[in-house]
Amino acid sequence: MPSIAEPHTVPTPTIENATRSDDALAPTYYVVCWNDPVNFMDYVTHVFMKVFGWPRQKAVKHMREVHEQGKSVLVREGAEKAEFYVHQLQGYKLQATMEPAE
Amino acid sequence: MRLLTHSKSGWRYQLSRVEAQALRSLMKLFPTTAHVAVRITQTDTDPKAAEREKLLNESLAEHREELRRKALHLMSGDRLRLQHDRYVLGIGLEDREILLQILNDIRVESWRALGQPDDLDPPANLSQDEQVHHNRMSLAGYFECNFLNLEEGREAAAED
Repeated sequence: MPSIAEPHTVPTPTIENATRSDDALAPTYYVVCWNDPVNFMDYVTHVFMKVFGWPRQKAVKHMREVHEQGKSVLVREGAEKAEFYVHQLQGYKLQATMEPAE
Repeated sequence: MRLLTHSKSGWRYQLSRVEAQALRSLMKLFPTTAHVAVRITQTDTDPKAAEREKLLNESLAEHREELRRKALHLMSGDRLRLQHDRYVLGIGLEDREILLQILNDIRVESWRALGQPDDLDPPANLSQDEQVHHNRMSLAGYFECNFLNLEEGREAAAED
């Protein structure tokens, strides 16, 4: 299994100290999809469109990242939502995990 | 196998007798393997991650059980009907998602049972059990590709 590299697809958000809320201080997670040789590329695209509601073009971009780079960072979310997405993706049998963003 | 019609309410596919029989067999067999625990993270060492992983595996086992219950309904007489010498499968949006998930589950779990090979072509010296898993993986893949490509090819063409 490939190691985690510094994700480059999601920019680090700028948060003003004065306006930080509890939510902003809560840990966030990257939802990562890992490559495997068995899931069809069309299937992966289909799942991304279903789970995230993405247009085909965006789903294909992430599918290609998975296929060509071994993984793709799909979204950055709080724990609950990241966990929800991992459940959904794993329900479709994609190899997805949630990794701490910081 | 070919797509006959597609509307907002669903899809109608035409299958040969052999295809219909093979699809029915796959649905009856599901799940073809016991649930295998999966990891929720590769790097998180927080104790909460272990609890999340436990919940994920419980949830996936329940999800599979739900799919199992729905699998046979998908092949019931009101959805899969013989018309002349061919079968017509009529399914809605939810049915199609369930069908795809079941087929992909069979494909992925058969691949895992084969030891997760990088090369999906069958080696010459497969045991009888491995041959069974390989056949299931290929057959599920055949239907999965058809259900996906017969529809998504249209969508992609429409977007071009």
